[in-house]
Amino acid sequence: MRLDLVLELLDVPGQLLDVMEPISAAGANIVTIIHQRDVKTEKGMVSVQVTIEGDKETLDAVLNLLRERNVNIVEIDGVIQKEKIRTIIIGKIIESDIKDTIERLNNLEGVLVADLDLKMAEHPKESAAKIIVEADFGMKRDVMNKIKEIGEVKNFLVINEI
Amino acid sequence: MNICIMGFGAVGKGVAKVISIKKDELKKKYGLDLKITGVSDSSGAAISPDGLDPNLLLEVKEKEGRVSQYPEYGTDNLTGLNFLEKVDYDCLVEVTPTNIDDGEPARSHMLKAFKDGKDVVTSNKGPLALNFRELTEAALSNKVKFKYEASVGGAMPIINFAHDTLAGCNFESIFGILNGTTNYILSRMAKEGSAYEQTLKEAQEMGIAETDPTQDVEGLDAACKIVILANSIMNKDVSLKDVYINGISKINQESILLAKKEGYLIKLVAEASDDTLEVSPRLVKSGTPFSVDGTMNVATLNTDLAEDVTVVGRGAGSIETASAILSDLINIWKS
Ligand SMILES: NC(=O)c1ccc[n+]([C@@H]2O[C@H](COP(=O)([O-])OP(=O)(O)OC[C@H]3O[C@@H](n4cnc5c(N)ncnc54)[C@H](OP(=O)(O)O)[C@@H]3O)[C@@H](O)[C@H]2O)c1
Repeated sequence: MRLDLVLELLDVPGQLLDVMEPISAAGANIVTIIHQRDVKTEKGMVSVQVTIEGDKETLDAVLNLLRERNVNIVEIDGVIQKEKIRTIIIGKIIESDIKDTIERLNNLEGVLVADLDLKMAEHPKESAAKIIVEADFGMKRDVMNKIKEIGEVKNFLVINEI
Repeated sequence: MNICIMGFGAVGKGVAKVISIKKDELKKKYGLDLKITGVSDSSGAAISPDGLDPNLLLEVKEKEGRVSQYPEYGTDNLTGLNFLEKVDYDCLVEVTPTNIDDGEPARSHMLKAFKDGKDVVTSNKGPLALNFRELTEAALSNKVKFKYEASVGGAMPIINFAHDTLAGCNFESIFGILNGTTNYILSRMAKEGSAYEQTLKEAQEMGIAETDPTQDVEGLDAACKIVILANSIMNKDVSLKDVYINGISKINQESILLAKKEGYLIKLVAEASDDTLEVSPRLVKSGTPFSVDGTMNVATLNTDLAEDVTVVGRGAGSIETASAILSDLINIWKS
């Protein structure tokens, strides 16, 4: 059987090899591979489409190996694995440890802060930041609640999507 | 049908106006003869069992500031429960100011009307957001009708729409922009790039925001409305204190610009869903029904059978709100 994957890789040399290696190690065949280096995602990553072939066990083993290596799997057989969640927060964002804010989100399983855009406001006003989180499908509520919780602790106004 | 109107401000006067405009039509279409047998404001009343002239009421209120100056039938110092004792009516139109501390005096007015076997139509959010079950149960046990379409979204049809037109559906969630003032401020801030304080001031000068804008900008008004919807449409048992509320006074240009870059707008959205009862600024996609401009209201009902149904309409205004009250009166008459 065949499996279509869309992966996201860092645009640095050697990344593609890191993906091909577990595929062949597990004993699967690569049917096609499309690697578009000039089309970048928001995070500056490049997207790779691979179709692989093998029996079910082999294909499962490939997925496990890729996950072990923290390869970002965006789609499996046309099913999106990640969703994008946008939030804006207003408050004393830098003063209240922005790194910690991001870490608290990243600590959620299957959740990664993919983009952060900060706009400083003039003193004494409060600045605003846009956070884009990529999370496993179905995690949206959890992520939104987590951001709310952080907002309550750090006194941010949280503007979630509806 | 004899009605008495308590409160003769924007909405009360609107009711008198639409009754005057629609008098013949109501008779022809529904066989309904709406007679205003009593009106009260904060200082007095006018009562006539034969019916007061709506145009004269408006004129007197405009000129003298008090309905008690109505020729022959005006009385000073007759208000509240005493007024309800004196007047001969079938249905009370309760349109006194909203009080979100204890719902009074509207709550007592309505309870008395129920006890006396009278129907009630209201636009007053206070008692509904604080004592919803008390009121609906009092109406039920006295076998009278209680309608409050105008309390949420002004002229935007939602409560009767959900109960009647969408009868048979269960409502899983409700999202709505239910406050026109904040929607106006946020729309202007997004369009003009202006600061919050300045935009609020402009809105006040235009009469869109009140001198004390707290209830609107801090989300309390929208919170009252989502409580009414959650109780009435989703069969919950909640009150104002159960709502998680954040207003719009902290919204700055920086946040609006960040949202814009992503193709989003910031709107004050009320949500009632499974585990959430909340009013807060939210990100909504430009170009969707929730990106409505100005003072418009919008709500999406998520149902089990009909999926999403969205309504849009004018959330306030004298005549607009009176239109919802009139439709409640007609529905009571028809049943
Ligand atoms: N305006 C809208 O577009 C709109 C839309 C939806 C819902 N509502 C709701 O409808 C209600 C009325 O709103 P509004 O805009 O008409 O308010 P308003 O213009 O402030 O008028 C309130 C009226 O109530 C009278 N009043 C105050 N205390 C009273 C008492 N104890 N007994 C009898 N009358 C009393 C006032 O008397 P005086 O004239 O003597 O001051 C005034 O005539 C409020 O609950 C509001 O939340 C309004």
